[in-house]
Amino acid sequence: MKRWIASLVIGLIPLFALAANDSPEQITRKVSDDVLAIIKSNEKDPTKVRDLVDARVAPLADYTRMTALAVGRYWRTATPEQQQALTREFRTMLVRTYLSALTVYKNAEVEVKGSRPGAGDDEQSVRTEVSLPGQKPIPVDFSFERTRQGWKVFDISVDGISFIVNNRNQFSAVIRKDGVDGLIKLLADRNNALKNGAAAK
Amino acid sequence: MRRLLLTTLAVALLAGCATPRNNYDPLEPVNRETYAFNRALDRAILKPTATAYVEHVPQPVQKGVRNFFGNIDDFFSTFAALLQFKGTAAVHSGSRVLVNTTAGIGGLIDWGTGLGMRKGEEDFGQVLGFYGVPSGPYLMLPLYGPLTLRDTVEPIGRYFMGPLDFIDSDAWDVGYYSLYLVDSRSKILSLDTLLEGQPDEYAYIRDAYLQRRWASIHDGHPPYALPLGDVDDDGDEDNDFDPGPTDPPLAEAASDVAAAPVDEAASQPVTEAASVPVAATASEVAP
Repeated sequence: MKRWIASLVIGLIPLFALAANDSPEQITRKVSDDVLAIIKSNEKDPTKVRDLVDARVAPLADYTRMTALAVGRYWRTATPEQQQALTREFRTMLVRTYLSALTVYKNAEVEVKGSRPGAGDDEQSVRTEVSLPGQKPIPVDFSFERTRQGWKVFDISVDGISFIVNNRNQFSAVIRKDGVDGLIKLLADRNNALKNGAAAK
Repeated sequence: MRRLLLTTLAVALLAGCATPRNNYDPLEPVNRETYAFNRALDRAILKPTATAYVEHVPQPVQKGVRNFFGNIDDFFSTFAALLQFKGTAAVHSGSRVLVNTTAGIGGLIDWGTGLGMRKGEEDFGQVLGFYGVPSGPYLMLPLYGPLTLRDTVEPIGRYFMGPLDFIDSDAWDVGYYSLYLVDSRSKILSLDTLLEGQPDEYAYIRDAYLQRRWASIHDGHPPYALPLGDVDDDGDEDNDFDPGPTDPPLAEAASDVAAAPVDEAASQPVTEAASVPVAATASEVAP
């Protein structure tokens, strides 16, 4: 058993090393296969699925840019500490709301449809279709940016609805009313509520 | 006293003028009221009914009901596809209607999907969008939900083209629309948790609806992202701020991305930061 784990870990190392040179399309293929495998083997335990998937996607996501885009022009007025806190809470929110619901997709199939250039050479968007048996496939697009550690995702849009855009107006309304700290507090409170809700179940 | 009143009024008016937050939802105050009404009605009647329907009505019946309404959607979708010269989509939707209405007993059974006929999602709002009609203001209709002025053509068109108009009975109408509402609501029950977690449900629904419509009109590939932003102090919708890739140092990236320190300098795109010294040298070298 121990040897099995060891060989698995050793087998994974070159995979991660390779990941830096992969094209966005290849990354999407690999990660979606891994995520579906995680969901299938842990379908009874949404929390475990959430944590495993979170660990798998974290190195591939630029949460800071995601948060900056969602916060919009108020990002510039936030102090570095506030920006860090915003990023932390936004990430927690995304993980708790979206990744906790993944068990629904245990029979899902992801088809990578191709990629197209985004704004400039350093951005690409990968188009996929997620389908559940007997349902119309849902288009899911991933926006990638080129960083020094390879390609990373900074936005996801589901059926044309972008995570970033869909939070921006809500966030700016909160910031106008209660300031940046108000938004941090609101996100933190909500994340706590989600945590307690999950614990109560 | 009168002057005080006038001043208060003027201040209130000015404040009122300052509130329109964006150009795409000019009716926001009215829409919000309607949304609150819809939501209250939903909580009191529709949601409990839809929940009970999902829990207690036998699966095959639910499936039959969904197929039945789906067949009617296909009927309209066929015409909407034709009007946009989408031949393949029209053939698929049209064949679905033919097969499902006959062999599928009035649409209760969906044979079409099994026969490889793809379900389309065209509607008359998309037809107008295809011919370049802009969306117009966003509307929140009582009992109906989100819509834009352009997209009202869909319910209106459906009303006048109604394929079931030969059935002239109030009881049928009441039954038809009630079942339609319950079935539609039951499709989106799973989204409630997500919605209730939002700071502003109304804005969340609006922005999601408008983005989705924008994407469907361009068949999933809009030429640019729909600008959805609040009007800022300069009066434009320049709500974006894009720091570019934040690119944390390798060591921190490995441990925790979210905890990586990000200050203004670090959040600038690498290319920009790199180009500054180059430009400086160039200007020094140049005579």
